[in-house]
Amino acid sequence: MSRITVQYYAQLREQAGASIEQIDTAAATLRDLYDELCGRHGFTLPTDALKVAVNVRFSDWGRAVDDGDTIVFIPPVAGG
Amino acid sequence: MTRFTLATEPVDVATWRDALKHSGSGGFCSFEGWVRNNNEGRDVSGLAYEAYAELAISEGERVVDEAMARFGVLAAHCVHRVGDLKIGDLAVWIGVSAAHRDEAFRACRYIIDEIKHRLPIWKKEQYINGDTAWVACTHGAHAETDDHPDGHSHESHLHAPSTFTPDYSRQTRLRDVGDTGQAKLAAARVLVIGAGGLGCPVISYLAGAGVGTLGIVDGDVLDASNLHRQVMYDARDIGQRKVDLAARRVAALNPAVTVQTFAEPLRADTIADVFAQFDLVVECTDDLGSRYLANDAAVLTGTPLILASVYQYEGQLQVVSALSGHACLRCLWPVPPSPALAGSCAETGVLGPVPGVLGTMQAMETLKLLLGLPGAGDPSLQLVNLLDGTRQRLPIDAATGCALHGGCMTVAQRALDAAKVDIDQRFDDLVDAVARGFVVVDVRDADEIDASPLPIASLCVPASEIVTYPLDPFHGDMLLVCNSGKRSHHAARRLRQRGVEAYSLVGGLNALRDSAVCA
Repeated sequence: MSRITVQYYAQLREQAGASIEQIDTAAATLRDLYDELCGRHGFTLPTDALKVAVNVRFSDWGRAVDDGDTIVFIPPVAGG
Repeated sequence: MTRFTLATEPVDVATWRDALKHSGSGGFCSFEGWVRNNNEGRDVSGLAYEAYAELAISEGERVVDEAMARFGVLAAHCVHRVGDLKIGDLAVWIGVSAAHRDEAFRACRYIIDEIKHRLPIWKKEQYINGDTAWVACTHGAHAETDDHPDGHSHESHLHAPSTFTPDYSRQTRLRDVGDTGQAKLAAARVLVIGAGGLGCPVISYLAGAGVGTLGIVDGDVLDASNLHRQVMYDARDIGQRKVDLAARRVAALNPAVTVQTFAEPLRADTIADVFAQFDLVVECTDDLGSRYLANDAAVLTGTPLILASVYQYEGQLQVVSALSGHACLRCLWPVPPSPALAGSCAETGVLGPVPGVLGTMQAMETLKLLLGLPGAGDPSLQLVNLLDGTRQRLPIDAATGCALHGGCMTVAQRALDAAKVDIDQRFDDLVDAVARGFVVVDVRDADEIDASPLPIASLCVPASEIVTYPLDPFHGDMLLVCNSGKRSHHAARRLRQRGVEAYSLVGGLNALRDSAVCA
């Protein structure tokens, strides 16, 4: 189990109902984590429409989830 | 070696051309400007060019050097005539030789645009009726020799009281700005795409700062629902074109600024020509398609681009420097998500100050780049959340973006080419499409297909899976179909970005049924 902080932007923040949360997860990779969060929050965006950053660095979806990570999911937004 | 010449005698083009020959050159491009027999409706019999020679030569050298460095060409030269010229005489000659044609074309275009814009050269036109008039060759004067490629722009010099002189003292007092910086701003040409929530602060601050030329693109008229965030306009303006309102606002704020308006959205086939007329572009629309188009044109023309977008209480900002090795929008998100997923102000809502803050940040990034201030062109994605006041700067690793797909240039060229193709195809019967050799792909979901299967053999690949589906074994152009033509259009566009010749059935199956009923 890893204890991590997750931050959401735009549609994901809206669907999660929070911009930040701390969770315990058994997810091995960022992709697994996002799948888990989709189940919990009903996210509609697929991973290929998102960027993910870990500890203020863009990251690969295959990266391992480590205890203490701060993970941010970022969709592109359109408003102007 | 001198690369710019002011000539008092007729130019021997062949000699100049031969001097640019280089064993490594595979392409040569030249431009000639000639004296025309009319200008702004008046018959011209001839003209005289006069230059502030020292400055014209040093600035001309600089322009050619910039073009060589920027586009990596092997040799270039520009000759500008001074003195008396007749109709048909050659007034300016530019030659560029490069390894490949593309750099040669672009460098040639860059040199003529900059020469016309920056050099202290004036011309005295002699009219048939005996009158004469001095015409500056700088700034707006380019409208009189080469017409705008898309034909829908115009320049307006809306005059405020003639006694007004801009006072930039509060910004020139800054050590990093000064008179030199102010001169840079006066010489700068910035294109703002979208005169809405983001565009209002961008246009206002850039006009106030004394940016010499502002291009403004917007195809919309002002709606009452815009007023909570689009602070240049007021209730009396509803129903009027935003480009006209914005041009009027700039003229009122700073009459020293030349405004060029584009009342239609930029199109894939002309956007690169428009970008080539500007030093920097600020993208302020609420349209993902426009943002990707601007990104591609910026990369291809080497024009820095400031992107921003907002969502409810937060926003994103990215500077695309368009320099080799720096990330672009597609390095982050290779293809635009479907419009339904990205959300717009109309659908998701936005609080007025949010585009105000992000647009102000875009204006700041623009001024930093134009003035060469510290921190200019930082290629990070900036995330701003105005509810909790947090701000994140995420550096973008260009090596993991477009670089994996041939580089930003290749990706942008492919996308722009794809955007030029009319992917919507009209058929009354799918049998005709099959007869024409199309492979029909049904992109509806399984339950929709079960409810109303196609009458012909087709591939069934839901739109959400189209990009990952192995289409290689199928030869021929793909015709994608769905119920309305929307999902298939978006899916075809995504496929095209992967090099697949994909089209979409316009109007979808609904349109087929309608035409069958009519028949």
